[in-house]
Amino acid sequence: MRTRETSLPRKYHDAVVAWRKTFIPDYDYLLENWEAHFPKEPRFKLCAYRELGICDKITRACDLKAEQAQHLLGAIKTQASTEFGSIQQHRLTLARAQNEEDQVWVLRMMAEELRHGYQMLHLLVEDETWSGLTDQSPDDMVEEALSLQTRSHLLSAFNIDFDSFVDNIVFCALIDRVGKYQLAMQRISAYKPMAESMPKMLREEAFHLATGVVPMRRWMVSAAEGDVFVTTDMLQKTVNKWLQRGLEMFGDERGGGSNVRMGLKPMKNAEAQQQYSDEVDKLVRDLNMRYVRARLPELAHAEAEQVLAKIDEGHGTVDGIAWEDLLHSPHPHFFRRRGVPAFTLTGWAGETFESFEDYAQHLRRHLPESYLASLDFKDYLEKLRAVCAGETTIEDAVRAMPALRRVAGSCPCSRSVRWVREDASSSANGGAANP
Amino acid sequence: MMTKTDTDVSVRGLDTIDIGAVVRIDEKIGGEYRPDVWEERIGYYLRRDPDAALVAEVDGEVVGFMLGEMRSGEFGLEEPTGWIEVVGVDPDYQGKAVGRRLTEALFAHFKSCDVHLVRTLVDEKMSPIAAFFASVGFEPEPLRPFVKRLT
Repeated sequence: MRTRETSLPRKYHDAVVAWRKTFIPDYDYLLENWEAHFPKEPRFKLCAYRELGICDKITRACDLKAEQAQHLLGAIKTQASTEFGSIQQHRLTLARAQNEEDQVWVLRMMAEELRHGYQMLHLLVEDETWSGLTDQSPDDMVEEALSLQTRSHLLSAFNIDFDSFVDNIVFCALIDRVGKYQLAMQRISAYKPMAESMPKMLREEAFHLATGVVPMRRWMVSAAEGDVFVTTDMLQKTVNKWLQRGLEMFGDERGGGSNVRMGLKPMKNAEAQQQYSDEVDKLVRDLNMRYVRARLPELAHAEAEQVLAKIDEGHGTVDGIAWEDLLHSPHPHFFRRRGVPAFTLTGWAGETFESFEDYAQHLRRHLPESYLASLDFKDYLEKLRAVCAGETTIEDAVRAMPALRRVAGSCPCSRSVRWVREDASSSANGGAANP
Repeated sequence: MMTKTDTDVSVRGLDTIDIGAVVRIDEKIGGEYRPDVWEERIGYYLRRDPDAALVAEVDGEVVGFMLGEMRSGEFGLEEPTGWIEVVGVDPDYQGKAVGRRLTEALFAHFKSCDVHLVRTLVDEKMSPIAAFFASVGFEPEPLRPFVKRLT
């Protein structure tokens, strides 16, 4: 297995660097303090890695079937959107971390997400045969990827603002886990450059999950010990906010067959979503065990498992630990805006609501208070109200949700900032330029 | 009583959802509950080389784990070397080829990275561990650890 390391052509590389200066202002701090936090670990480098030796695959986009190529192009753009999008979300609340290690782990993760976005741009730019399959020039494709902002990204999960550092952590634990699935599935892509890009990304993604899971485990202990900084109630509401978006990232439960048929992914949407859901259930159980053992340190593992099983079984209180003290996965149909259960009035526990007003109050009780004041929640609730009132169909509401308000728009000319500049040398000092 | 054969053992990459299982196995072996240690350690290995962090499963339950990494240039050992640094097998599953399957998978990973030398360190007092590594092809080498306690 050989790894090839490449950089984007200068003007695109510089565009990404300029973007990074805007959205990861602490990047220099990360590199300057790398040895202190990650001793003896290879320093981060902004480049594209391809793991060579994945045989019998198509190397040029023009050799793909037309439908296959369009699906793939969409997948690459979506992947790029998620990578750059998550950085924009993380930066909002990065400074609010109470623990330096958690903060630096997230910062490193942001740098690696930047590299993942860079990797996707590499796929769009290096293969010149895309030009016969899309009207967009490489300049425009790069510009488009870099110009998306929170609320103009392609998937809902990346259009939601973070409100606290709890969002940074839970997002890593839940949404990056979806990322792991997507990358693992793309590893078998019939398009060789895509398949070769995945191994390194997947390795980095494993750490991103740890960036979320390890602090969540520690927070469960702090909560069990009575700390008030991050309570299990706060964690539960944050899980409710993100997990449903994670489920939706797999696409409509009825779909995914085309990707399988075209050799782009190995699983249909529902199968991948179910596996993800099972993994999250395991994570939740693991977190609850951490809590139980912190609350009842005199118990051995097997005894703690029995306590947890009893609490789960009766939803009651055992040895002073109430079912409500622990974390739980919401019903998969709760608070959904895409897929089979989109815009249905399904409650957190799977119960059904008759009126929009009752459901809105139910959501209020189960979502973080700060999120209720967000644009994303307002948009969702307005669409839901319209569906319930018969003013719009579920299909139209679904279509309206992911894009929301396109802040940047898809046309590079519509913005006041342009990242890709013809004269690359002049942008070497960073900063975006007016067109 | 377990009657599993080695064909029932599957090996996959370690995931953060396995931290609890690793803590459980470690506690079963050593009698000490050390979640903090494993959260830190697994975070490290997942950053370094997640493909060298493995778990073994039987019927969907994690019954063993192995953590390793590749290094070169240390102690004058210039040849890139795969190190097996941590191994743990649930006592209920010892003797069921769990460790061997983990070792084979880690060897395969090292080989795929063009690393053809694997090392580990074993305390002489832990003869079962030494016997295990001998059974998967390790031989003693004249490389002695030296230690000095600072007061």
